[in-house]
This record gives sequence, C-alpha cells and structure tokens, in this order.
Amino acid sequence: MIRLTSICKEYAIGENELFIALHNINLTIREGELISIIGPSGSGKSTLIHLIGLLEKPTRGIITIKDKDTSSLNDDEISKIRNEFVGFVFQQFNLINKLTILENILLPAIYAKNKLKYSPVEKAMDLIKKFGLLGKENSYPNKISGGQQQRTAIARALVMKPLLLLADEPTGNLDTKTGKDILNLLLNLNREEKLTIIIVTHDPSIAKLTKRKIRLVDGRMVAKF
Amino acid sequence: MRTFLTSLGILIGVLSVVLIIAFGLGLKKYIENQFESLGANLIFVMPGSKKTILRGGGMVGGIKFDEKDVNNIRKIKNISYLAPVFVKTGAIIDANGKTEVVEVIASNEEISGVMNLELEKGQLFEKKDIQKGQKIIMLHLSMAEKLFNSIDSALGDFVTLDNQNFKVVAILKSKGGGGLGGGDIDAHAYIPFKASYSFNPEKKYYGLYFKADTKENVFAVKYEVQKILEKRYDEDDFSVMEQSELMETISSIFNIINTVLIAIAAISLIVGGIGIMNIMYVTITEKVREIGIRRAIGATKRDILLQFLTQAIILSLLGGFFGVLLAFLITLAIQFFFPAYINLSSVVLALSVSSAIGIIFGVFPAKKAADLSPIDAIRYE
Repeated sequence: MIRLTSICKEYAIGENELFIALHNINLTIREGELISIIGPSGSGKSTLIHLIGLLEKPTRGIITIKDKDTSSLNDDEISKIRNEFVGFVFQQFNLINKLTILENILLPAIYAKNKLKYSPVEKAMDLIKKFGLLGKENSYPNKISGGQQQRTAIARALVMKPLLLLADEPTGNLDTKTGKDILNLLLNLNREEKLTIIIVTHDPSIAKLTKRKIRLVDGRMVAKF
Repeated sequence: MRTFLTSLGILIGVLSVVLIIAFGLGLKKYIENQFESLGANLIFVMPGSKKTILRGGGMVGGIKFDEKDVNNIRKIKNISYLAPVFVKTGAIIDANGKTEVVEVIASNEEISGVMNLELEKGQLFEKKDIQKGQKIIMLHLSMAEKLFNSIDSALGDFVTLDNQNFKVVAILKSKGGGGLGGGDIDAHAYIPFKASYSFNPEKKYYGLYFKADTKENVFAVKYEVQKILEKRYDEDDFSVMEQSELMETISSIFNIINTVLIAIAAISLIVGGIGIMNIMYVTITEKVREIGIRRAIGATKRDILLQFLTQAIILSLLGGFFGVLLAFLITLAIQFFFPAYINLSSVVLALSVSSAIGIIFGVFPAKKAADLSPIDAIRYE
C-alpha cells in the first residue's frame, strides 16, 4: 500500500551545517498491518511517521501510496491524500479547544473535497458511542479527561474512514491504565476492522504488542522484525 | 472585547465617511430647495468671472455696479423685475435686547418680485419708500419670531442695525430651513438701498438680480445684459448667471469640499484596516498550532487562507455595519437641526469599502497563515 524507497531527510542547522534525520530508509507497508516504530529519542521516529503521513517531504527518495508517486504532487493534492487516506493521532491530542467534541471529530469532513458517500455526522456519532464518549459530544476538550481527549482524537482520525492510522506516542501523555485502554482500542481497530496502523513509541512493551517492529537509531533503520 | 476594539477603527472610519456624505447631501439639497424657492427665470450679475466664483472667490470684492448699469439694463425688454442689491453679510441686528445675525439686502421695491417674497403681514416696500430711503426693514417670519414675542408686536416696532433704528414694516413668509446662518434665506433682512449708505459709502451695488418674463427669454436676456456690461467692464470682471448655473457652481464647490473631507475621513479607514491587520497577525500567532492541526487533517493552503480572510472581512464588515447604523441614528437625531440624509449608495459604498479593507488588510496575515509548514505549525509551542 505504501512504499518508501531510499528516503533521506535532512534539515539545515545554521548556514552550513546539515542534520541528517533519516538515512536511506526503504520500507513497504501492506494493508491491514500493525507496525511499531521504536527507537530512542532523536532517532528519527517522528520524522519517519510524518513522511509516511505526507506532513513533510523527503529530501531524497520516493514515497508511493497505492503505487502513486507522491513526489510530483502539489500541496492541494497532498492535502487531499492526508484528508482521505491518513488519520493522525498525536501524543498531545491536538484537539481544538473552542470546538466541541463532535465538532472536533467532524473537522476533517469539512475539508473533504469530494462529497462523502456516508453521513459524517452519523459516522461521528457511531465513533462517539463506540469509544464511550456518549454524553460528551457537546463538551469542550478542556472539560474532559486525557483519555477521553485521546479517544476523541482517534475518532477524528477515523471519521474519514482512512486506509492508514498514524499514532505518534499515543499513550505518552496518559497514565498507565488509560494508556493501556487507548492501546487496546488501537489493537482492536486493527484486528476487527483490518485498519493499517503505525505506532511510534519508545516503550518496548507497546512495541511487543505489534506484529512488525521497525527499530531506528540515529536515523538509520537498524532492524525490521 | 478584542473583536469590538478591532472593529472600532473601521466603525469610526465608516461613520465619518457616511456622516460627511450625509451632511454634504443634506447641505446640497438644502441649497437647492432655497434656490427653488426663489422661483424660475432668475438671473444674477455678480462681480468676478465664473472661474473665480467656482474657486470660491469673487462673490465679494472686485467691481461694483452703479446706477448707470441699472439704467442700461432697464432698457432691455423682457425683464419683469430688476433689483440691484448691496449685501452686508454677518450684520448684527438687535431688538428687545435680543441679537441675531442677518444678511442685509439693500435694494428696491422689486426685490420682492425677484426673490419671490410673500407677505405674511404688513406692507411690502413701495417705490416711494425706496425713493425716500426710509429706515424701514422687512424680516422673515422666523427671524421676527426670534427677535420679538410675536409677529404682531414686531410689526411697527424697531430693530437696531448699524446704530440706526429701522422700523419693521413687513413680516415675510418663511422660506424653510434654518440654522445655517448666512446661507439661510430666512436670515435675510431687506432695507431700502438708500438706507444702506451708512455702511455703503460708495453707494454702489454688489450685484444685480433680475427676472426674465418667460423661461424662453432667459437666454436672450442674459446675452443682452452681458453685451451691455461688456461695454463698461472687462468680461472677466463680472458674471451673468442664471439660477441653475449658480446652483451648479455652488454644487461644484460643495463637491470639492466634500471629496476632500471624505478623503480625510478615509484615512481613519486605513488606520482601522491596519488595526485589523495587526490583530489578524496576533490571532494567527495564537493559532499556529490550530493551523497545523487543520493542515494535518487535510485543510489546503486555500482553506486556511479563506478562514482568516473571512475573519478579517467579518471584522471589517461588522465595523462597517455598526458604523452605518450609528451614522443612521446620528443623522436621524440631527435632522431636527440640519437636513442631513443617508442615501443607499453611501451605505453600499461604506460596506463595499469596509469589505475591501478586510480583504486588502487581511490577505497578508491570511497568506502568512496559509504558508505555514504543517509540521512546524503543529510543533509550535
């Protein structure tokens, strides 16, 4: 479904210095996979997930989604792919505080460029019920718990029925029990709905739960297992 | 609160522009009404060329006319009334311990025919009054009411003008309007020409007012008067104008003044626009992370640009709308004293200008927001 070929990502530091965040990454992600990207801080995990989610462009290399080379796409086309095919879940939840839970979940639908074949409100309400947020749909993010906020963020990532869910340290801001609940929720989504999920984590116990693990050290892929 | 303060700049700008237009329109209409009340076929001879009158000068000063000019013009057929006038503006008139400012028009008995003066009570000037140069005066009703307790008590009583007592012999019907000082016909006070010698020692006329007998003869009469006067004066020293020309001239002066005032008021609109630009930059700085989130879930650059541009336009339009509303209320309130009015085109202009300001001053901050890198924005603390 997604193929990364010879991907490099460099950042300019000052005038003459370059920081190489990723070296020659080759990776194929198949539909329905549950993958974890692990590695210490600064190893390039987040950069990799951002490249897969088309939030950033690689300095070199090619990313193809469903055999389509994304390097030649313009910003509008990339935004459309992000909107339709990719769902993001962040460590900081990244909800918009002035919008209600329902409005936050519906936000991607506002930016849909094609008419949806289903009702996004019904889909959002289904997700609210499924994730135990019923009764909270008109609340604002700062009035609900961290766990509920992350569930809202996951619901927002799913409202457009994406092919790929990218979760960057999804339990990093939660207590152990709530983190476990969120993790189970993600595992269930992969198991029951065959949703492709990539989880970035530095926690080996979370990585242990995924079928495929990618280890990064200093921007290099040191192991795929 | 921040929205209100941001819109306040535009509100004040729009309020000033709409009020100036309303005042301008009101003043123009007021003057038109005053001229219409003088009746048709009216012709004026005034010192100065039309160009100098257009520049706002020439109304006073320059050449003055004398009895010889009057006698020459009298020879022209098709003139129904001829009133040579000396005008003293800003004259102080006292009666009963009350003081008013009037425009004294010293003329002959034909002034009532020329100016369409209608009698409320008393007796209009007669030829013998003019010949004797009697110290008599005709006042408009509203002026008489200001100076005396009633028009009955005014009639036959005296007013003091230039340290001389003038007997009120006629109360003239009001021409409407009021509160405008010099331009107000109701503030005219008429005296016989000879009675003005104390403040007109040259015994000359400032202008010649007359009426053609029919509308068709206006052009011919003007032409003949022009020819007669050119024998004695240079053609740039005087102007022969009919009422509509004078009205156009005055309108042009008002249009110039109005345009200048609107341009000055428009500066406050620009200041308001800068205020909007400033607050939009602040808003965008506060919302960098939100912009990142929106971009991550699929918003295009155009979506972000439109979001902030819409916000800037709404802020501007809010200011514009409340500016128009406030201008409307103020205009309603001052209509008791001044004939200002708001027309649809000034409202449309104000709202279009405020949306344009929203677009012009909103587009740079909105573009800045749209151009943010999604990942940098989402990481912004």
